[in-house]
Amino acid sequence: MPETMTAPEPVMDTQPKAQELSLQGALNLALDEILAEDPKALVLGEDVGTLGGVFRVTSGLAAKHGAERVFDTPLAESGILGMSIGLAMAGFHPIPEVQFDGFAYPAVNQIVCQLGRMNYRSRGTLPMPVTLRVPSFGGIRAPEHHGESLEALFAHVPGLKVVSPSDPQQGYSLLKAAARMPDPVIFMEPKSRYWQKGLVTSTESPADVSGARIARPGKHLTLVAWGAMVSRCIQVAELAAEDGIDIEVLDLRWLKPIDAEALATSVGKTRRAVVVHEAPRTSGLGAEVAQIIIERCFGTLKAPVERVTGFDVPYPSGDLEDEYIPNIDRILFGIQRVLEYKRG
Amino acid sequence: MAEIPFPLPDLGEGLIEATVLEWLVGEGDQVERNQPLVEVETTKSALELPSPQSGKVLKLHGAPGDVIKVGEPLIVFEVPDDTAGIVGTVPSEEAPKRRVRLSANLDDD
Amino acid sequence: MVDPVAPSDLVELYRLMTAVRQLDLAAISWQRQGLVPAYAPELGQEAAQVGSALAVDVCRDFVFPTYRELGVARACGVDMVEYMSTHKAIWHGGLWNPAETHVAPIQAVVAGSVLHAVGWAHGQTLDAHGEVPEAGYNVAITYLGDGASSQGDVHEAMNFAAIFKAPVVFFVQNNGWAISVPTEKQVAGGSVAARGAGYGIPAIQVDGNEAAAVLEATRRAVAHARAGHGPAIVEAMTYRRGPHATSDDPGRYRTLDEERADGGTDPLVRLRERILAEAAADAAALDAADASGKAEAEAVREGIMALGSRPGAEMFDLVFQEPTDELLRQKANWQEETDHA
Repeated sequence: MPETMTAPEPVMDTQPKAQELSLQGALNLALDEILAEDPKALVLGEDVGTLGGVFRVTSGLAAKHGAERVFDTPLAESGILGMSIGLAMAGFHPIPEVQFDGFAYPAVNQIVCQLGRMNYRSRGTLPMPVTLRVPSFGGIRAPEHHGESLEALFAHVPGLKVVSPSDPQQGYSLLKAAARMPDPVIFMEPKSRYWQKGLVTSTESPADVSGARIARPGKHLTLVAWGAMVSRCIQVAELAAEDGIDIEVLDLRWLKPIDAEALATSVGKTRRAVVVHEAPRTSGLGAEVAQIIIERCFGTLKAPVERVTGFDVPYPSGDLEDEYIPNIDRILFGIQRVLEYKRG
Repeated sequence: MAEIPFPLPDLGEGLIEATVLEWLVGEGDQVERNQPLVEVETTKSALELPSPQSGKVLKLHGAPGDVIKVGEPLIVFEVPDDTAGIVGTVPSEEAPKRRVRLSANLDDD
Repeated sequence: MVDPVAPSDLVELYRLMTAVRQLDLAAISWQRQGLVPAYAPELGQEAAQVGSALAVDVCRDFVFPTYRELGVARACGVDMVEYMSTHKAIWHGGLWNPAETHVAPIQAVVAGSVLHAVGWAHGQTLDAHGEVPEAGYNVAITYLGDGASSQGDVHEAMNFAAIFKAPVVFFVQNNGWAISVPTEKQVAGGSVAARGAGYGIPAIQVDGNEAAAVLEATRRAVAHARAGHGPAIVEAMTYRRGPHATSDDPGRYRTLDEERADGGTDPLVRLRERILAEAAADAAALDAADASGKAEAEAVREGIMALGSRPGAEMFDLVFQEPTDELLRQKANWQEETDHA
């Protein structure tokens, strides 16, 4: 009888039409299928092998696909990213993981100066099909550097694409799509939603993985969000319905490129918009979203685009995180400001 | 919550069973990995078995004096399903609470 | 030059190590009881932590810990409730005053503060204008693990320290594991101390579970730096007996048999046996130290229970010495919405 009692979670061998999975499980399934379908795909990072990742997203993959293709690295994020770049130059499709968002900072040199530029520098001869998985955002009362929102930083870097799923289905579909892309994708997994369960269907339609999606249709105002804020905005929309306000929730999904058409279509209809994100306000992605809306919908907007965001402060300790992350009331306040705006 | 049973391990040297001498934990106790669980006696010696698992003790098999065969259930642990990551806690999914109400005149929409 | 480890040192080591052991065990149970959301146990590393910390003088030296340094902090006189506040998720970094205690705040990026120690140490030589003071330089001691040694910052720190001849001690706790990855898959060549040769930094590998050996080795390293001879490396070979953190499950990557074999003899047991064998103290005195450690852990528990949240306004107030107008506007808006809701 082995003393090691905890068996790795089984990885699905066959893929049923639809199954109930947590976001962790959906990402695990996507990685399993990517590794099975693409012989050049590799998973690497700290504790992704034997342990199966600190959030168990890579659980069982090393046992199934081999320790050469799913492997632990020494503890060095810059090393993980730099090595992924070299592996991509050698024809592999690396899917590195940095364990927590805050540990992407030590890798910024490789991400910004190298990963985002290699295709350009090599005049297209050295493409970088690298999907960097980053457990992201706050909400789990974790230590410092375990709750950061880096989307604006990465979106600002030329040569990087950025995406964040909001639920298990999005996690599955977007990760599979990202891994197929010939360019670097920063894949931001909302860690507070890892345990949320939902029905996951395998999908191959481009519409299912490109651009934004309407998470809840409505007619009076558009809430724009991504990652963990999508489910919170859906909650807010349900509450607003009690007050007779019909809110559309647009799950942006791709933070670079941003789906300007989807923003224009939604806000063109509702004529009011509030952007919600966990990241600090100043130079946050909300400003970019607001500007796109202004460019497309200036003539029909009933009020300036409102932002409900984190503050310009380091992400606080767990005890204060409910003060920091946009909560339901703060989002409702933002909506009210837009609703009661009077011109002149 | 998941239940993890722990059968009597192979104690080596061809021993096939052991007698429970004394339980060092009780049902409902939170135990740590490596914490002494039970004293058992084999035909060779008395020894203390450490816990292979941290978790809550759900059930003990065998009272003092009972003989348990290798591979038979000894103890059952209860551990949470939704284990958090290596740090942090799983957020609770509670019903949304609000204190702010909306009001708007949407007549001209 | 270096004080030999005296019988009184052994007793002091024991007094601190047993207190640290009790606190560490208590902290794990506090997490299980929901009093703190997470904790990174240092079980098995008491000799390395207390032994090294006793070799520095926090009245003048400066200590740069990692997030697994309860024993160092306790030995350096940090208030344990203020220390545990970071694990209670009250404030990242803890609530103690680093400027006064000379123990830097906890930070979570491994190897993130190693270069800070080099900078602080270089500052001491700048202040002395290159003349070694009569009492020697103030010394920085920076803590890192086998996992952290993989980070590029550690190379930079060792190279800078040697180039600038900075009075800094790199204290490496090689505890065998970085979460699930064992040292042999982490440290090429198997030893961080061995790298010292490449930088021209004297380095020693010491049994990290032998408190007196750690104390003596670190005293030598500190004396070397104090005398103006530049940096030194001490690699204490120890063992992380517990999980990486309270939510970790070591059963996924190592067996109990391996843990027991590799953990060796409990450093506290070894020290106790030595003290009794050398008659540095009697069993009654050591039992009294154990009891005092338990009482201290209980008092810290009460302190943590009583420890309330920090006001949300501190999120804004502590970002800058001179806050921006925009930040003040955000604070006012936050306050208004909080009060109004």
